[in-house]
Amino acid sequence: MSELAFLTVAEAAELVRSRKVSPVEYTKALLARIERIEPRLHAFVTLATERALEAARSAEDEIVAGRYRGLFHGIPYALKDIVDAVGLPTTGHSKILIDNVARADSRVAARLRAAGAILLGKLSTHEFAIGGPSFDLPWPPARNPWHLDHFPGGSSSGSGAGLAAGLFPAAIGSDTGGSIRNPASLCGIVGMKPTYGLVSRRGVLPLSFALDHVGPMTRTVRDNALMLQVIAGHDDSDPASADTVIPDYSTELDRGVRGLRIGVVRHFYTKDFEADAEQVAAIEAAIEALAKQGALISEITLPPLADFSACGQIILAAEAYAVHEHWLKTRPEDYGARARERLLAGAGLTAAQYLQAVRWRHILKQRTLRAFGDIDVAVTASGMDPACRIDDVETLALNYWRQARMPFNVTGQPAIVIPAGFARGRLPLSLQIIGHPFGEATCYRVAQAYESAMGWVMQHPSL
Amino acid sequence: MNDLRERARALGLDKLTAEHLVQLERATATMKRHIERLPGNLTVADEPAHIYQAKGRGS
Repeated sequence: MSELAFLTVAEAAELVRSRKVSPVEYTKALLARIERIEPRLHAFVTLATERALEAARSAEDEIVAGRYRGLFHGIPYALKDIVDAVGLPTTGHSKILIDNVARADSRVAARLRAAGAILLGKLSTHEFAIGGPSFDLPWPPARNPWHLDHFPGGSSSGSGAGLAAGLFPAAIGSDTGGSIRNPASLCGIVGMKPTYGLVSRRGVLPLSFALDHVGPMTRTVRDNALMLQVIAGHDDSDPASADTVIPDYSTELDRGVRGLRIGVVRHFYTKDFEADAEQVAAIEAAIEALAKQGALISEITLPPLADFSACGQIILAAEAYAVHEHWLKTRPEDYGARARERLLAGAGLTAAQYLQAVRWRHILKQRTLRAFGDIDVAVTASGMDPACRIDDVETLALNYWRQARMPFNVTGQPAIVIPAGFARGRLPLSLQIIGHPFGEATCYRVAQAYESAMGWVMQHPSL
Repeated sequence: MNDLRERARALGLDKLTAEHLVQLERATATMKRHIERLPGNLTVADEPAHIYQAKGRGS
């Protein structure tokens, strides 16, 4: 069973295509693993066992009949529980929406369904993708599979935790201020926040219209590229959807980094914040490894992290309050304490303050893209610290702000987080790689070169 | 607390409990620190994009 549990999408796809593993056998193996581990991990809000088995049987019938749809045909995956799948609850991990059942698929779920993927269920999130970890909600928060008493990151907590635990090979997350990349960092998996507008947000509970991104979370870089290939593309029903040509994200994966220009944003983790020493050492070792493979390394300077954070948080607070105003006025007691406090931050903002932040965003974006003028990608920290205990309220509050993810929600650039080793106590460390707008393929190329050289993805938690 | 309750009422948040009002106060203080960083030197020409689009190289 554990051999199937940690198959990559690429490996599983080959086994399914060649009929060495049946989608039913694969799905049953993962469901059995979920049954064993889930009571300790809390990655799921809703498990769709019967529906998954039905989809697996259907996939198997099609493949046997010679109607193979492609790499995701017969591959199980799961959705963060702010993403609609027709007929299943979308709760946002909140009492507010505990009875909400999706009437249609989100665009990402529809694309994955069309590709033949098998939905296992809906995953734990911080309440409405903003408040967590919380113990005062209808479902418990997800745990970190490397240490079950530790924080798995968020808000796409169940996605990160379930991937690292081998419950599924691919998941969908969302990222408004780092919510794909934080659990990727703390759980030791791969999370891509694509360029703003590349993946449709249709059928996804909004948090901040201007900053929300939907993206793939996987255990390997190659799988991440494969999943983005399925979910990326223009959608008329998402007003922010980009109408752009979608490249083949796998073509350049194995080209290596020789001659690529990589800018290091060192001030983010040494000056704006002083990151944990082991996290700094991991990033510097990664830079050295990329240089040894022929990348051309330089250092670049971006606006201070505090500027990106302030700009992003004002926009996020104003827009999130607009989304939640009615419920905050009529049902404030139905939120968990963490989400309520975060959402109330927007209550007193003025229209002028919001618009000043939106104007500032444009300036920060221009300055950042100017700094990217002579490089192909940048690298920096994602979070400044490894995971802390999930009940360590003070450290959780401190670490929430100690991150370098919000800048790329503000600029809309693609940013991928990959595993970069382990800190003391075997807690994952990470590296963030940032590309030009719509430069996901180059991010993947750099990430793949590092992943291949280091092999961190071969390590899994004992559960 | 009464002042805080009045401010909440003015915002239409008249169902907040005492615990919620403390949260509102903390959240407002956090947001104030962000607002203080807003640049004061934006020119009249610094107009936001009405629909934000991240433009790629050469586009």
